[in-house]
Amino acid sequence: MTNLAKRKKAELRFRFYGIFSVFLSLLFVAILIFNICSSGIGGFYKTIFLTSIHFDQKLLNLEDNASEEQIRNASFRKLIKNNFDESFKDYSKDEIKQIKKLFYRKIDIELKNFLINNPEFLNKTTKVELTASTHIDQIHKGNFDRTVQEKHRKVNNFQLEIYDKFVEDQKVKKVWNSTYFTSGDSRDPESAGVASSVMGSVFTILICFLLSFPIAIFASIYLQEFAKAGKITDLIEININNLAAVPSIIFGLLGLGILLNFFGLPRSTALVGGIVLSFMTLPTIIVACRSSLRAVPPSIREAALALGATKNQVVFHHVLPLAMPGTLTGTIIGLARAIGETAPLLMIGMVAFIMDIPSNPLEPAVGMPAQIYLWSESSERGFIEKTSSAIILLLMFLIVVNFVSVYFRKKYEKKW
Amino acid sequence: MVNAINTKNLNVYYGDQQAIHNISLDFLKNKVTALIGPSGCGKSTFLRCLNRMNDVIDICRVEGNISLNGMDIYSKEIEVEHLREKIGMVFQKPNPFPKSIYDNVAYGPRIHGFTDKKEEMDLIVETSLKKAGLFEEVKDRLEDMGTSLSGGQQQRLCIARAIAIKPEVILMDEPCSALDPIATSIIEELITDLKKSYTIIIVTHSMQQAARVSDKTAFFHLGNLIEEGDTSKIFTKPDHQKTNDYITGRFG
Repeated sequence: MTNLAKRKKAELRFRFYGIFSVFLSLLFVAILIFNICSSGIGGFYKTIFLTSIHFDQKLLNLEDNASEEQIRNASFRKLIKNNFDESFKDYSKDEIKQIKKLFYRKIDIELKNFLINNPEFLNKTTKVELTASTHIDQIHKGNFDRTVQEKHRKVNNFQLEIYDKFVEDQKVKKVWNSTYFTSGDSRDPESAGVASSVMGSVFTILICFLLSFPIAIFASIYLQEFAKAGKITDLIEININNLAAVPSIIFGLLGLGILLNFFGLPRSTALVGGIVLSFMTLPTIIVACRSSLRAVPPSIREAALALGATKNQVVFHHVLPLAMPGTLTGTIIGLARAIGETAPLLMIGMVAFIMDIPSNPLEPAVGMPAQIYLWSESSERGFIEKTSSAIILLLMFLIVVNFVSVYFRKKYEKKW
Repeated sequence: MVNAINTKNLNVYYGDQQAIHNISLDFLKNKVTALIGPSGCGKSTFLRCLNRMNDVIDICRVEGNISLNGMDIYSKEIEVEHLREKIGMVFQKPNPFPKSIYDNVAYGPRIHGFTDKKEEMDLIVETSLKKAGLFEEVKDRLEDMGTSLSGGQQQRLCIARAIAIKPEVILMDEPCSALDPIATSIIEELITDLKKSYTIIIVTHSMQQAARVSDKTAFFHLGNLIEEGDTSKIFTKPDHQKTNDYITGRFG
């Protein structure tokens, strides 16, 4: 009798350990997500100044009804200088210079784009949303400590005063930062975006999938269904399993040594990145595909064989469709790992500063993880925020990929 | 009486182990022959030699001669896919494909290229299901999964699938062992029906079943053929003591 009480107690204890472990792991995930979100959400927004600008025709050296081409070629420097001098008449030249620093240093381009999109404002005065400098952006988002001594901060007391005045006049606004999604990397946190790295990741993963998925499926089918069991197949099996455990940087070295140096493929491109990542993903998919093939009941194979189907027909009509859900799961796991992989891409130069959005896999590109790595190295406060925002995007990307895999698995799964 | 299948001096080995010892046995056309014997006596192995299903087992080696209508089935000229078109098989556990009922039956005719026309295929499916006595039960839900049927229906679906490719011989490996008595009796009636058009060889563990459905019975023991002959004779006055012991339930 006492024995039973003891056993029940042991069970209770075990339940407690179990709940505790589950709770702990959920807590870690929650902390991670909270941490990333709290520091990263801000990156999706930017601070702007509502500034009234007079688009003086003479200062821009433009005729009436100037064409887009003409506006594009016009210099906006004079216009900006004039507008600032007008708006801040009461301040000295030096002070106006400091006020200008509250704005993003490329507002001339912003004004140009505004005029190109709204040519009717030529020679008229209107309110334009001008991006604030990254320091002001951080102040406005509350990531700034005013108690720090003036010489230790990037924004001096006079500039703070002006900023506060702008806030009072309701000229400062936080708006959705669409440039973050449409532009490539930049030296300025104000205009840095994830578009180039997202495209780089998309191309890389696409190539990785297109290479590894068919190769892995053919390899697994051959090994599982056609190859005669023997020492050689065993050896191959062991090696594939080992390959799945090889550190990813080794694959990067392989890519550097063979793809870049020997075959002379272009550096820093999504093509090479995709090939390297497919080396890495192949074993994962093969292992998953083989175990799903193994799990298909032999009775199905026998049924088809007994009807006079050839081995090929048995595999492609019956076995492979049944093994597909498991294979897809393995593929997604492999691809999800590949999406987040940085180390092998470092070896093949996919950590470059890429401003242009790659339009094909043969152009230099950078992946999202490498972009995160690059930004995290930067000392600018604005980039820290961008880093977290990019991590949020990457996580969302992974969640979407996972949902897609669940969808396909459910779709192909058949009831027995 | 014409023989559909003749086997002569058949020896089968799994690696070093001999599973079948020098068996010579003939099967009459349009008759039901039952293979009985205790578990592990080699009757399933023997059956699977007849449509070369043992080919897929790497370590299995077959010696001797098996001929279908006088043609050696292990000769190089015979394509195994062709052979299996002529000798269908029904397995111990119902194993319909996880596809629709229609596709289950149509699969064989489709891969052998019987017809491209939808109407002709419909007809093949319908007649096959009718012959297997399943059509009335499933005619309104041919698109349902074959696996959604009951066990007995699944097995009849497997029979329909086997006869859809118009075989001459149907091998049945304990077709009723996974079924309840009612489903079993339906299948047994079906077997009696089918023997008009097919030669049937059935492996069974049930003495009663062998006695009920078969015309000929062969008794296997430890890979040897102990006795064969008319079912009525085997079950009433067998020549061998072992056969007598087995059918009276003294071992097995």
